[in-house]
Amino acid sequence: MINDLNNICNQKVFEKLFNIHAKDLRRFLFFKTQDMDLAEDILQDAFIKLWDHCNNVNPEKAKSFLFTVAKNMFFNYKKHEKVVMNHQKRTLKSSNYETPEYLLVEKEFLVKIEEAIAALPDKQKEVFLLSRMEKKKYKEIAEILGISVKAVEKRMHLALLEMKDKIGKV
Amino acid sequence: MRENLTKKEESFLAKWLDGTISDVTLKELVSEQDFMEYKKIKNGLELLDELNRPVAPSFNALNNSINKKRNFKNTQASFKWGLSIAASILVVLGCYFAFNSLETSHETSYGEQRTISLPDGSEVVLNAKSVINFTEKDWETNRSIQLVGEAFFKVIKGSTFSVQTSNGQVNVLGTQFNVKHTDAFFEVVCYEGKVSVTNNKKEYLLNPGNAIRKINGTDPEKYTSEKLFPSWVNGESSFVSVPLKYVILELEKQYNIDIDAHKIDDSIIFTGSFSNKDLKLALTSVFKTMNIQYIKDKNGVLSLE
Repeated sequence: MINDLNNICNQKVFEKLFNIHAKDLRRFLFFKTQDMDLAEDILQDAFIKLWDHCNNVNPEKAKSFLFTVAKNMFFNYKKHEKVVMNHQKRTLKSSNYETPEYLLVEKEFLVKIEEAIAALPDKQKEVFLLSRMEKKKYKEIAEILGISVKAVEKRMHLALLEMKDKIGKV
Repeated sequence: MRENLTKKEESFLAKWLDGTISDVTLKELVSEQDFMEYKKIKNGLELLDELNRPVAPSFNALNNSINKKRNFKNTQASFKWGLSIAASILVVLGCYFAFNSLETSHETSYGEQRTISLPDGSEVVLNAKSVINFTEKDWETNRSIQLVGEAFFKVIKGSTFSVQTSNGQVNVLGTQFNVKHTDAFFEVVCYEGKVSVTNNKKEYLLNPGNAIRKINGTDPEKYTSEKLFPSWVNGESSFVSVPLKYVILELEKQYNIDIDAHKIDDSIIFTGSFSNKDLKLALTSVFKTMNIQYIKDKNGVLSLE
């Protein structure tokens, strides 16, 4: 039973499900919570719950199980937070929500960024992805592509301009 | 500076993005509106990085918490197992004792002497450091006692009365007799009636005044005793031609003392008695007559020289 490929109690099946769903769930939870750490916590708890119920959940139903459990955990967290906030109202005067650096990031906005990156001209996209996704320094990118650092910086600059135009427009 | 960045190189956004120039510098180069938009894109990109970050570390953390939980569950489970096993053992033991109707045990400590009445009215006088066990159930038909140490029995007439020791078995019908038994010392004295002693499948019959003893694995020897009851019942331990070793043992039992006899020959034969009530008198009567010196050391051990 433990070695059954259709049983989540099988460590391999469980790990596979984690690799498939963890990123999506983390993303989902981030947009709900706007808090990366909290999203990570709930992600962990949701998967622990899946493990606890590994005998009762079909691997095909794992995704909806995870998302439902995570949503409920988030609501419970909010409920608890409300209680805490009500209590803190009396003690804390203000929060830093109004500072200009605080920018609420919506899901739609991130989708726009991803679309804008995808729509970049190939040369800019190449540099942009190496820089942002591969975490390469401009100097390294220049070496990889056999161009000057200045050329790399120029392409990055243009890529950002392009993206601003696109995202600003929509 | 501004000229450099904007017109000639057109790369200030790249430099800002990788942190070479600050927000403040960028604010000088573009409009407030544009700055907010760039800033928002940068935040979004950083967030995308976060969201796309590999999940492997998360999985490791998850595995750790699951393992912790599992271990906890396992210890809980094994604890429960242990509990239920312990409970079952208790129940089984309980039943065993209930159906075997409780073995009665009497034990005396150093220097203690106690008289115990048996269910049929027979009496056992237990000398110091001795234990008897018997089963009250069916006592009338099965009078059997296990003895370690020394005891004087006054048995009411009835069914066979037996005393079991690891050195042999003593059977009587109605009588008074004394049984003394330690690991290497076994002695039975008959004071009244008839006593049968079985040792190594051999049976010895004792008439009143007869005694039998076996010391240190030798063949049992018979001898006679003029007394009507053992002297220890009256607070005196007496010995007839007994190796000193057993006398010392008796002293230790009666007075709860440690005696170190490694410097003397404790196989010399002793005949005599000592009081069970006065240590000083007892030591004098045993060792003075044997010409042995005794010194009490720091640890309270009595050294013989």
